[in-house]
Amino acid sequence: MAVMDMANSLPMWLACGLAVALVLAQAIIFALHAYKAGQKMGLSESQMKRAVKSSAITSIGPSIVILSGMLSLLITVGAPMAWMRLSFIGSVMFESIAAGFGTSSVGVQLGADEMTELAFCMAVWTMILGSVGWIIFATFSAGRMDKVQKKLAKGDPVMLSTIAGAAIVGSFAALSSTHLVSLNKNSLACVLGGVIMAVMIFITEKFQVKWLKEWALTFSILGSMIITVLV
Amino acid sequence: MDKKEYFDKEYMPSMNRIGVITGFLGVLASFAPALVLAVVYGILPRPAALVTAFISAASTFGILWFVEPVSYFAVLGPVGTYMAFLSGNISNMRVPCASMAQVSAGVQPGTEEGSIISTLGMAVSIVLNISILTIGVILGSSVLSMLPDSVREGLNYLLPALFGALLVQFGIKQKGLASTILVYAVLLSAAIKAGIFSWLPGASNYLGILTSVFLSIIIAVVTYKKVK
Repeated sequence: MAVMDMANSLPMWLACGLAVALVLAQAIIFALHAYKAGQKMGLSESQMKRAVKSSAITSIGPSIVILSGMLSLLITVGAPMAWMRLSFIGSVMFESIAAGFGTSSVGVQLGADEMTELAFCMAVWTMILGSVGWIIFATFSAGRMDKVQKKLAKGDPVMLSTIAGAAIVGSFAALSSTHLVSLNKNSLACVLGGVIMAVMIFITEKFQVKWLKEWALTFSILGSMIITVLV
Repeated sequence: MDKKEYFDKEYMPSMNRIGVITGFLGVLASFAPALVLAVVYGILPRPAALVTAFISAASTFGILWFVEPVSYFAVLGPVGTYMAFLSGNISNMRVPCASMAQVSAGVQPGTEEGSIISTLGMAVSIVLNISILTIGVILGSSVLSMLPDSVREGLNYLLPALFGALLVQFGIKQKGLASTILVYAVLLSAAIKAGIFSWLPGASNYLGILTSVFLSIIIAVVTYKKVK
């Protein structure tokens, strides 16, 4: 059987579908629990609705970016694997590199040589083995780190909030910095994203435009993308 | 029981349970395609070659398995960690969506309310991401080829714009900290780019985030303690 036919076969779709279903199930189960807890903790319906709405809006753009990554990955490992792997831990970069390690271990260059059944199997196994490390360690450490963090903050909620807020700023600073130092249009996009957001925040506060708060991010990203393309 | 007790004694233990069970199932589910290849098609990996491939993968990414959960924990919280490290796309989807959800709901990150809202935000991002991927995989590559070139070019700029905007969104309330960390991060990135850290394998993948996050936390905590 041709390798890509096998890669795109029904059994593969079912297996990958099972895995994707698990990710969805986890998300939905956590969300339902969180929603119930939110009601108990005094969060209003409108707060939770706003959270859902803004998250949905924020995720559209990046989802499309990930989609284009998936479409390039599926050329080498087939649609079921690409679909599953990108719904699981592991970025496009990781998956392609891991798959490449797998195939080259039996002498096949991913993308260059013709894929054999064995090479495909090696790619699949390598992608899996290379990525479960994240799931295992994260699952293992989540509960424990919670305890460590609480101890460090000595239960002071403002301290915990300060830590989280600082971590968020640190993450986005680091993520932005790689684009800033590449000194190309990405840097421009990054700067514009920040500048437009600053303008949005100013307008929101000065003129009390409530709805702008939810859309500020979308406008900042779109504005930056459009200007950067046109420049 | 009061809110905090409910959160700590009922909600979190059950969330931890769910997280551990789904994480464990996630590891098993990851092997489903390999199982299909073995059982349906009778293809097994070559053991010695697999060891080679695994060692290559582990030496390239192994550090990230440990560093990334630690780096992102303060942002994601325990529940967020379970979700993000099963579904992936952490820096470009989970963190932005979880943070934006908290901003819209008007809750502080790191609080109980923040954790609940962030969980909702992340779940939405996971459902949406998978939906879009599913639609995309059904429609195939024809989807993207229908988009005009300028749109496809624009997509390349989405992530840098996202990060810049989010940095300002969250940094504007702590301008001193944000600018300090940004300067540090830029200098570090430049150093990594110049190869100063080439002795550290894969440094470009994690060094920036790990050190920026922890430096930021340290500065913020020290400042907070001083003000107290």
